[in-house]
Amino acid sequence: MIRIRNGKVYDPANGVNGVIRDVCIADGKIVAEVDVAARTLDATGMFVFPGGVDVHTHIGGAALNFARGLIPEQHRKATPIFHSQYRRAGIIGTTPTTFATGYVYAGMGWTTANEAAVPVLSAKHTHEELHDTPIIDKTCCVLMANNEIVLDLLENDEQDRAKQVVAWYVWAAKAYGIKAVNPGGVAGWKWGKDCKGLSDVIPGYKKVTPAKMISSLAQIADELNLPHPVHIHCNNLGAPGNASTTIETMKILEGRRAHLAHLQYHAYGGDDWFTMRSAAVEIAEHFNANTNLTCDAGAVLFGNTVTVTADGPWQHLLYQLTGRKWGNLDVENETGCGVVPYVYKEKNVVNAVQWAVGLELLLLITDPWRICLTTDHPNGATFWRYPEIVQLLMNADFRKEQLKQFPDSTLSRMVLPELTREYTLSEIAIITSAGPARTLGLTQKGHLGIGADADIAIYNESNDVAQMFAHPRYVIKSGEVVVEEGELRKSGEGRQFAVKPEYDESIEDFLRPLFQQHYTMSFENYPVSCDRVHNLEVHACKYCGK
Amino acid sequence: MLTVTLKEPTTVPLEAEALSPDVLAPLKHDAICALPVLLGKRSMRLDDFFTVEGDGSEEIELRGDLTKVKWIGQHMTRGKIRIVGNVGMHLGAYMTGGSIEVTGNATDWVGGEMSGGSIHIGGNAGGQLGCAYRGSMSGMSGGTILVEGSAGIELGMRMKRGLIAVRGSVRDFAGLQMKGGTIVLMSGAELRTGAWMQRGTIISMKPLRLLPTFAHACDYNPMFLGIYTKHLATLGFSIPHEVTQGTYRRYTGDAAVPGKGELLVWQPR
Amino acid sequence: MSCTLGEVKNRADFIIYWGGNPAECHPRHFTKYALTPKGKFIPRGRKDRTMVLVDIRETMSAKAADIFLQVRPGKDFEMLTILRALVKGQRINEDAVAETGLKLEQLQDLVARMKAAKFGVLFFGMGLSMTRGKHMNSAAALTLAAEMNAFTKFVAMPMRGHGNVTGADVIMRYTTTYPFGIHMGRGYPRFNPGEYSTIDLLVRGDNDATLVLGADPGATMPKPAIEHLKRTPTIVLDPKVTHTSRLSRVHITTAATGISAPGTVYRMDEIPLPLSPPLKSPYPTDEEVMRRIREAVQRKEPWYPVPTSAPQMT
Repeated sequence: MIRIRNGKVYDPANGVNGVIRDVCIADGKIVAEVDVAARTLDATGMFVFPGGVDVHTHIGGAALNFARGLIPEQHRKATPIFHSQYRRAGIIGTTPTTFATGYVYAGMGWTTANEAAVPVLSAKHTHEELHDTPIIDKTCCVLMANNEIVLDLLENDEQDRAKQVVAWYVWAAKAYGIKAVNPGGVAGWKWGKDCKGLSDVIPGYKKVTPAKMISSLAQIADELNLPHPVHIHCNNLGAPGNASTTIETMKILEGRRAHLAHLQYHAYGGDDWFTMRSAAVEIAEHFNANTNLTCDAGAVLFGNTVTVTADGPWQHLLYQLTGRKWGNLDVENETGCGVVPYVYKEKNVVNAVQWAVGLELLLLITDPWRICLTTDHPNGATFWRYPEIVQLLMNADFRKEQLKQFPDSTLSRMVLPELTREYTLSEIAIITSAGPARTLGLTQKGHLGIGADADIAIYNESNDVAQMFAHPRYVIKSGEVVVEEGELRKSGEGRQFAVKPEYDESIEDFLRPLFQQHYTMSFENYPVSCDRVHNLEVHACKYCGK
Repeated sequence: MLTVTLKEPTTVPLEAEALSPDVLAPLKHDAICALPVLLGKRSMRLDDFFTVEGDGSEEIELRGDLTKVKWIGQHMTRGKIRIVGNVGMHLGAYMTGGSIEVTGNATDWVGGEMSGGSIHIGGNAGGQLGCAYRGSMSGMSGGTILVEGSAGIELGMRMKRGLIAVRGSVRDFAGLQMKGGTIVLMSGAELRTGAWMQRGTIISMKPLRLLPTFAHACDYNPMFLGIYTKHLATLGFSIPHEVTQGTYRRYTGDAAVPGKGELLVWQPR
Repeated sequence: MSCTLGEVKNRADFIIYWGGNPAECHPRHFTKYALTPKGKFIPRGRKDRTMVLVDIRETMSAKAADIFLQVRPGKDFEMLTILRALVKGQRINEDAVAETGLKLEQLQDLVARMKAAKFGVLFFGMGLSMTRGKHMNSAAALTLAAEMNAFTKFVAMPMRGHGNVTGADVIMRYTTTYPFGIHMGRGYPRFNPGEYSTIDLLVRGDNDATLVLGADPGATMPKPAIEHLKRTPTIVLDPKVTHTSRLSRVHITTAATGISAPGTVYRMDEIPLPLSPPLKSPYPTDEEVMRRIREAVQRKEPWYPVPTSAPQMT
C-alpha cells in the first residue's frame, strides 16, 4: 500500500488538472484511501502523471531483431547497461535489447507499449521478446493488409469470410489489434513492385485495390468490436506529395474508426525531392474534421537511427538513396520487412521538413486526445528521446531557437515558424498517456481514477522540461515502486494483453487446406498457444465508444 | 620516463587500456599502480600484474611478453609507447596521435580505426591491421602503420586514408574494400589483394595473384613512389632504391563494385 | 535480402545451390520448399523452376540440377566477384575467368538467367562459408543477391547446420544485439568474431573453463583447441557421450531436444516452431540442468562488474 502525498496531480481523463491531492494505491490499483500503515511518498513540489502509454513502437520481433544484427557498429558506441543486482546486462542505442527496453521505458515513466507490427508466422518470436521485456505492459498489432488469403477473399468479394479469417488470425497471434502497412504495396513488393494508388489494382491481382483492403479492414475491426481501431500505415509513405494519398485514405475511412500511424511520414507536399515541402496544414485540416480518426505523430529528431518497417518497397528506395546498408526479409503469405540505418541531418532539407512536420501536426491538430506522441521508434528517433519533443511542444521560444539554424529556402517549406501554440502539462499528459490509452481501448490505463492500474510517473517540478521528463523521481508500475531517483529497484515482468474476437470455428476447415498448400508449417503449429504468452490477460471485444 | 614491466604472462588475456600516455602522463607512481586492469572478468590493479618504475610521463616503456595484453594505447592522442617484447590485440585502436613502437610481434587488430599517429612493429603482425571493426563503414582514416615482418588477413580493410607498409608477406584480402589511402607490400601477398576496393593504392614489389575483376591499365614509373620512400625513410622504414626505379604494371579495379582503385606491381628488370 | 521458405515455395522460379548438398544434408529441402512442391504462383512445381548447382564436385544434389557448374576448389569468391561485375555489365577477360574452372560464356549465361527470373534464390552452404575466405564468401553471396534486386526479386539464404543454431542466433541478438562471439566479462555484451568466437578462444587458450551444450568441438576443432579443452575444466551437457565428453571433467547426460525435451526450434529462415516431444526420458532436460547450475552459482558470492566510464569499443 502506498500513499503519494501532496503532489500536483494531472489526470485529464478525470478532469484533474494540476490539483494538489493524494493518490492512494493498494494491490496494484488506485484506491480511494489507504490506512496509516501505508508507505508514504512525499510528492511535495512534484507532478504526478499517469504512466506513459506508447501507442506505436517497435520493440521486439523478427523485424527489429533483424535490424539489431545489421548494425553492430552502432551497438559498440551505444550506452551499455551493466549487469547488476536488479538489472540484466544489455545495450541501449537505437535497437535496445529486450531487457534494456523495459528498463529504459520504465526509467522514463512509460509503463505500457504497443508493438505495432507483428507477422502471425513469427508471432511466437515476438511474444518471446515481449516476455523478456520487463516491467511494462504490452500489446501488439498483427499485420493483415497484405495477407494473401485475405486478399484472395476480397478479390472474390467474400467479405464475411474475410472477417472470420481476420478474427482467427488475431487470436492465433494473441494480438490486440489489426495493423495495415502499405496495403497492397507489400504484396506488390513480393514481385519487386509497389502499389501507390489507392484505386490501382494490386500487382498479382485482377480486381482488389488498396482502397478495398482499407475499407474492409476498418469495417472488420468495427464489426469485431475490437477495442482498438484498425491501425493504418498509409500507402505512399515518405514520398513528396503523399498528402493526397493520406487524404484519400481518410475519405475511404469516413464513418469508421481508424488510427493513422506516424502521420508525419504521410504529410508531404511538393512533386519531387527538390520541391518537397510540408503539407501538415492540409492534413491537419482534414484530420480535425474527421472526428472518427485518431493518429500518432511519428515525429523525427535529428541524429542517428535505424529505420525498420514492413514497408519493403519504401526501404529499397531508401537504400538506393543512401547507398549504405539494407536488409529485407519477406514473410510468406503475410508481409515483409525492410531495414535501413539512417541519419537525420539538419543540413538535409528533406530531413528538416520532416522534423518540422511532426511538430506542426502536434500543434495544428486541435484535439490532443486524438494525436499521440510517438516517433515510430526507432524510425523517426529512439523512444528515449520523447522528452526532447515534449520540450519542443511546451516552449515556443526554444522552437524558435532551433529554427534559426535553417536557411530561408528551408523555412519557406514549413509553417512551424508561424506556430506559437505551447502545450500545457495537462495536454502533455493527454498525448503521452490518457489519449493513447483511450485510443488503444485500455480502460484501466492512462488515468488515476479509482480502479485504474497503479502505473504512475512522479516528476520533480523543473523548468527544464526535457530533463524533467527524462528523469522521473519515482515510477510506479502495478503498485510497486520500480524506479526511485533514477535507480531501478524492482523488475517485474509486466503483462501482455490480447483479444479474442468472435469467429465461427468452422473457418478452420476453410483455412487448413490453404495452409497446407501455401504455407510451410503444419496448421496445428501455427497459432501461438496461451501458455507461450507470459502473463496473458485476454480483454473483451467491447468497443466503448467515446 | 615511466617503465612498466609484466611480471609474468597470464593465460587469460588482460585488458589494459589504462596503458596509454593520455591516462598515465598526469599520474604519480602510486596512482598508476592502482589503475584498473581486467583479467577476464576480474577488475584488478595494474601492480597485480606489472612492476612500475617512475611517475607518469609522455614517454612510456612496456617490457615483457605482452602477447595477451590487449588495448594498449587505445584512443591515445599524444606521447610515445615503446614495447620491448610482443604485444596483444587492439594495439593503438582508435588512436589519433602519438607513436607506438614494438620490438617483437603484435597480434590482431593493430591500429583498428586509427586516425592519426604512427605504429611501428619490429616483428610480425596479425590480421585486421588498420581495419574497420565489424559493421563499420571505414577502417583506418589517417596515420601510419609500419611492419618489419609479415602480417595476416584483411590488412587495411575499408581503409579510408593513411599509409600502411609491410616488409614481409601478407595473407589474403589485403586492402579489402579499400576506400582510400596507400598500402605498400614489399613482399607481396597471398590471394584476393584489393578485393572489392573502391579507391586507394596498393603497391606491391613482388608479383600478385589478382582477382579476375582487375584489368591491366598501363605500365609506368609512379613519381609519387620516390616521395613515399623518402617519407618512409624518415620514419625508420627503409625501402631499397631499385624498387623505386623501373616499371610498375598498373591494374584498376575492382570491377565488381565498380571501383577505381589501383594496384601497382613492380616489374623487376 | 532474404525471405521465409514459404516465399521460395510459392514464388521462386530460379534456384541456385552453392557449396551445399541438400540432397544429403537437408533432405526435405527439395520436396518441402525449393524444387518440387507446387506453389501459389508456381502451378507446375518442378517444371516451372530452374535449378543450378555450383560445387567443386558432382554430389547427389547434381542429379536434381538443370545446370551443374563445377567451380575449382577455393575459387568461389573469385566466381562470385566475377558475377557481381557481370551483373553490372562490366567486361571481364575470358582468360581471367579460367582460374574458376568455368568459361566466361557459362557465367554470362548464368547472369542472363538470373536477370530473367521472376524470383531468384541463392542458397549457400558450408562449402562456401567454411572454405578459404569464410565470412567473405558468405558476404559475396549476400551482396550479389542484394545487387540483383536492381533487376529482379532476388534473395540469398544460408543453409544452416543441424541443431538450433538459428535459435541461438535469434536469442543472442535480442538479449545482446549480437549473434555470436559475445564477451560478457565487462558486464555488458561485446562482439568481435575472431577474438571472442569459440574456435579462436580455444586455440589461443584465452579462457580458463568451458561449458559445452549441444555441440561437439572435440570432434571437429584443431588440435590446440582440443588440448586446451583437456587441460582446463570442461563441462559437457549432451544426450550422448561425445568426443568432447571424453576430454571433459564433467559430463551430464540430458534429454534429447525434440525427442524427449520440449522447447522451440528456429528454422533456418528464423521461423519459430514448437517442439512436441513424443517420448519421455529418464534424464533431465538441458534447461533443468542449467537452472540448477545457475541457482548454485547464485548461492555463491555475487559478481557484479565494475562499470567503466568509457566503455570498451568492442
